[in-house]
Amino acid sequence: MKKKLDFKNFSIYFDQYLFISITLLSIMGLFFLYSASQEDLNTVIKQSIFVGFGLILMFAVSQLDPDFYKIFSGTFLVLSILLIFATMFFGKEINGAKRWLDLGFFTLQTSEIVKISLPIFLASYLYNKALPISPKHTFITLALIGFIFFLVYRQPDLGTGLVVFMAGIYILFLAGLSWRFIFTSLGLIVLSLPFLWNNFLEPFQRQRILTFLDPSNDPYGSSWNITQSKIAIGSGGMSGKGYQEGSQAHLSFLPEAETDFIFAVIAEEFGFIGVCILLSIFFFILLRCFYLALNARDRFCRLTIGGLSLVFASTLFINLGMVVGIIPVVGMPMPFISKGGSSLLSFYIAFGIIISMATHKKLMQK
Amino acid sequence: MIDLQERVVEKKSFFNRLIVIYLFFGLIFIFFLERTYSLQISEFRDYEIAAIENKTKEILVQPVRGIIYDRNGTIIVNNVPSYDLIIKPWEIPNLNNFIKEISLIVELDPKEMEYASENFTQRSKYNRELILKKNLTKVEIARFEVRSYKFPNAFIDERYSRKNNYPHLFSHAIGYVGGISNEQLSSIFEEQALKQNETIFSYSNGFLIGKTGIENKYDKTLRGLFGKKIFEVDARGKFVKQTNYIEPKNGDSLFTSLDLNSHKVAYEKMNNRRGAVIAIEIESGSIVTYLSTPSFSTNDISNGISSNAFNALINDPNKPFFDRASQGRYSPASTIKPAIGLYGLEEGLIDWNFSINDPGYFILPEDQRVYRGWRKGGHGNVNLNKAMIVSSNTFFFSLAYKSDIDSLINHLSNFGFGKNICLDCFNPDLGLLPTPEWKMNNLNFGWFKGDTVNLGVGQGYLSATPLQLAYYASVLANKGSHKRLTLVENQTLKTLENLPLKNIKNPDWDKLHSSMIGVINDPQGTAKRLKDLKTYTVAAKSGTVELVSTETKEDYKIIRENEGNRDHAIIIAFGPMPNPKYAVSVVIENGESGGSVAGPVAIAVLNSLVEK
Repeated sequence: MKKKLDFKNFSIYFDQYLFISITLLSIMGLFFLYSASQEDLNTVIKQSIFVGFGLILMFAVSQLDPDFYKIFSGTFLVLSILLIFATMFFGKEINGAKRWLDLGFFTLQTSEIVKISLPIFLASYLYNKALPISPKHTFITLALIGFIFFLVYRQPDLGTGLVVFMAGIYILFLAGLSWRFIFTSLGLIVLSLPFLWNNFLEPFQRQRILTFLDPSNDPYGSSWNITQSKIAIGSGGMSGKGYQEGSQAHLSFLPEAETDFIFAVIAEEFGFIGVCILLSIFFFILLRCFYLALNARDRFCRLTIGGLSLVFASTLFINLGMVVGIIPVVGMPMPFISKGGSSLLSFYIAFGIIISMATHKKLMQK
Repeated sequence: MIDLQERVVEKKSFFNRLIVIYLFFGLIFIFFLERTYSLQISEFRDYEIAAIENKTKEILVQPVRGIIYDRNGTIIVNNVPSYDLIIKPWEIPNLNNFIKEISLIVELDPKEMEYASENFTQRSKYNRELILKKNLTKVEIARFEVRSYKFPNAFIDERYSRKNNYPHLFSHAIGYVGGISNEQLSSIFEEQALKQNETIFSYSNGFLIGKTGIENKYDKTLRGLFGKKIFEVDARGKFVKQTNYIEPKNGDSLFTSLDLNSHKVAYEKMNNRRGAVIAIEIESGSIVTYLSTPSFSTNDISNGISSNAFNALINDPNKPFFDRASQGRYSPASTIKPAIGLYGLEEGLIDWNFSINDPGYFILPEDQRVYRGWRKGGHGNVNLNKAMIVSSNTFFFSLAYKSDIDSLINHLSNFGFGKNICLDCFNPDLGLLPTPEWKMNNLNFGWFKGDTVNLGVGQGYLSATPLQLAYYASVLANKGSHKRLTLVENQTLKTLENLPLKNIKNPDWDKLHSSMIGVINDPQGTAKRLKDLKTYTVAAKSGTVELVSTETKEDYKIIRENEGNRDHAIIIAFGPMPNPKYAVSVVIENGESGGSVAGPVAIAVLNSLVEK
């Protein structure tokens, strides 16, 4: 009996579809990064340490029972908010932005954590609320989302702030936000856009949007990035220029080739065919998450899987949209591909939690 | 807590809402794929070109300018190589140390060092070469070459400067070259389909362009086509590697019709007096001698000259830069008389037997104004032949008096007066063939009969360049057939034209030639002193251009005290008779006597051409 129990305790929680596709993406990412960093082995070694550690972390995180996350979600959120406050005081300032905590061995972008802890907390807060979500809970939720968005936005980091904001909204929406509320608030947002424009956006952010809407109006040259990115992608053609043959990346025309614009390097070197293969892996991951969300054991798990997978999808689409020039440049990494430890680890953790939520079945009671 | 039924409702709601979001993301995804497709497939060509343009930089390689030959194949203008020491700044860690080391071999002056240190950093940043020293001497080259293994970051390269082997003989005919203006460069780029923004030449800045003369008129032929070195550059514009090299096409050689020997003779005979000499090969219309004096060294102008020396040339009262041969305007004076005589014959105003008494002056019936000849007392009874030989003004005054001004002007224009008669001369002046309209428009005076009378002896408003006078001589020599003048052989454009003279027959031409021979050979001829300067027969007509009108020889003696008031000496000549091959015109400013001052120069040039 004891042995049996022990055996049960040792059961492994594992989704081979997600695990294989994420591992595949990570390895492809290292391979792309080698070219995008202009064959800088150091960058790739550093990144592969994150990848290895991240995969282990993902596996470990998925072994914990969803109830653990449900119980500790509040603690996690408070901790991540404290980290953001810590960043505010002790953060490392780069290019006028305080987004990073220097941990000695690792520079942590603290907003990356809150984009996971917020949706989990909201899922644990809303999973037992009646449908549709009452105005009171809606406002409490919105206030929390707004507060955290504001903290991140102040760093300033509009891109991550928006993702955090969206993460919260996704949970609220999936949990059953009333449609009436949705339409009313959408109307109000449209009406308040001019106010937001004037009071919430930094001049450079306004300029980015203006430049995006009218590329010829570009006093600060911010469309250079997007022009070079488009040239890189477009010149890749159907089958690409070949690995390490991308002139835009290798002759430094492409800005941020290792991070935000790594997709342009991939498109330049592997062409439309390579783009389609890469995106089909992302697409597969999203479909798998969709399936897992629908088959999750309870509402909390459903909400968490749905919310986290949508955070992942949003990050991806913001990155892609920015690189091909359909949305303004906001600074957003491509998940599992771009250089950068914080974003990478946060997505391994997110998928570890998704796997945990999907694989832990409730013991049949009664 | 929610109950079971509610749980089913909740699950359904969740499912619907997740589908809504996924569908929304699906749409974005499709939109994104469409964008990528249009970038990579539909607009691929544009972006491919943009990527290539991003990474390529073309450096032009200059062609070597064509060589200019004289009519006998002697090189007149050539390119001489000069050697420059060039360094690769991006391979030199410390310029000062480098200069210290290389100074032991090649001496650098402060200016060169300053230039190097000013441009070093930037050139280094972009992997561009830098000229450290120009025009190395043979010793310096040798010293560097044996130690070149110590300087992998420096090398010697050859470039060319323009050299005229006879710099004073062809100053105006061939002209000089000089630095190119941005506009000219831009139009050459357009012609050769080169990118307009590419103005950086690889260490051989100072592309030369023909500024005057043949160098200018045939610049396109001589210039050649640029080659290209194509480099791959990074986003900072730094050269990464050379990817392609397209050789320049050097300029074509130019075989001119100019004759070196005749230029030597003409230059020597002119002896720096102000004037011009033109000689034409009659059959082809080729200009064989084209000299304006005093001249200047084209090499000095092409390759650099001190500003003092340049100012001295500019301020020289003899105006060496002025091309008297094709831009100097001179009254033809008595050299016009053959054309006036032909006019009289053509119009039936006179024949060869017609004669008048020449008392030494002509009185205009209208206002009793007196027009004097050059000889007091006149020449007695003169017909056309004698009038030519002794240059009787009275004969031609009275002939001109009888003529119709419009038809006379038309007649003179057929001889090239007032027209451009050269196909490839640099900026030729048209001279002036005055008409009544011209006088009314420019001087606000009507045309007087006296103006026509003056025209009869080539004085008054009529003026012509030495080039036009030589052309006129060649038309006379060739009995009215003529070709337009050129400086370069093998002109296919030229056709033989004939003067529209109905009543002038071959015997008339022969008689005219014989009267012009008489100008030299007749004891009364105005150029009789030339008779023994040659071994063959030459026809000529001399002229003396009055700059100040004087009544008497005594008056002239007073005004000639000032050299600038002295008469110009002019002569046209052709020979050897009876089948003339060359026609010559010589003008010597303030030379006073066409026959005895300009004449010897003309004969010497003819000799050099005929007695080869």
